[in-house]
Amino acid sequence: MTADAHLIEHMMNPQNYGNMENPDASGMGKNPQNGEKVAIHLKVEKQDDPLITDISFQAIGCTTTIVAGSIVTSEAKGIHFSRAEELVSATLGLLENQSPEDAACTEMVALALKAALDTYREKQKDPEFSLYSYHITTDCTPKEEIEEIKEENK
Amino acid sequence: MKQLFKEVHEAWLATQFTGFMSQTQSRQDLYEFANILFKHLTWLENDFIKNNISYTYDIPQVPIRVTHISHMINNIIKRMESIESQLSTCKDEHVTFRMASDLSYMKAALSKLPEEEVEKCFLAEKKYPNVELSDEARDALTIFLFEESYKEYELIMVYNYSKANSNDAFLNRIFQILIDESFFHLRSFGQMMAEMGILGVPRSLMEEIYKFDNLEQFLKDGIQEEIGAKEECKKLADAVSASSEHFAAFFTFINNQENYHIALMEEALEYINNK
Repeated sequence: MTADAHLIEHMMNPQNYGNMENPDASGMGKNPQNGEKVAIHLKVEKQDDPLITDISFQAIGCTTTIVAGSIVTSEAKGIHFSRAEELVSATLGLLENQSPEDAACTEMVALALKAALDTYREKQKDPEFSLYSYHITTDCTPKEEIEEIKEENK
Repeated sequence: MKQLFKEVHEAWLATQFTGFMSQTQSRQDLYEFANILFKHLTWLENDFIKNNISYTYDIPQVPIRVTHISHMINNIIKRMESIESQLSTCKDEHVTFRMASDLSYMKAALSKLPEEEVEKCFLAEKKYPNVELSDEARDALTIFLFEESYKEYELIMVYNYSKANSNDAFLNRIFQILIDESFFHLRSFGQMMAEMGILGVPRSLMEEIYKFDNLEQFLKDGIQEEIGAKEECKKLADAVSASSEHFAAFFTFINNQENYHIALMEEALEYINNK
């Protein structure tokens, strides 16, 4: 990750970071490779296409995760679920252009949002439902390390 | 009392990070006052534990972006007044008497600190005085400082929680040394962040970071993280060595300090394995 002015702003002052009291739904994105995780909490206005009125996130992860969480939650605040699904898809579509480490962090945030949306829908059917937790599929091993491992195994 | 605990935590961070902004003798005063507020936090925490009350280190983001240090000083004084108004929620009168006395002195001393312009701590110029860095080295240093300042805060809180909830003198000696070491590193990195215009208060911790079940695994992971941090310090020392002998020496020094942290964690690991 480069540290341009826009990203530094998110590092210095991450948007929507923190816990939320009595969320309407929460979701979790996890990296099973290293135990990092992102939780996203939502306050939702009930409608045919529900509206995200408030959102927050917390993470056990690196700076890239915090920047991704800050950007994605800022985009998601105040939009309807249909748009939020598009946001998840668009974010996952960006992964190919990122380094494996950055892609893993971004995927974790996108999946946490997806999990929170799915949790909300599930809770409408079953109010006792806890939360969805999705695992990322991106391997966050840096390319150089993969090359080193390949060399060692030759 | 949970609100009181939270506000003391916030006041400690606000005071500590205002210390990073200062370029005058005020820095030392703010560091001392931050130490006192951290001590208050541990007193209140001890009261929670004695009374078997669950608690967390959850706090909202602490805003610190100001143009003049007086804005932060006034903010800290207001925070202290709010703390004073809630002291009665702690039933240990010895604790609240000591806190009230400290707060009264600190408020008076804070109000006398001189004005300083501190806007440059937040301008994100990413320049370190008298040091020329390549774009790549500057980016690496910037990200390193964000990662590590959060990490040091995390370690302070994790070891503090472990120490508060343990009666084992051997482990508590190690935890206290690690807390002290992390304070030193947090201050070193915080001052650098202020110099580079990228100062920000670390984000709050998720509960499972400090309320872990398996100390052995935590120590093993911690040793791996320290090894990773050593590697980062070495890379940074190499990246800046051409432009700053002082900087390179600093990162070599931090790198070598990590060896001590690893040795302490290995000592703790050996101790719990032999118990």
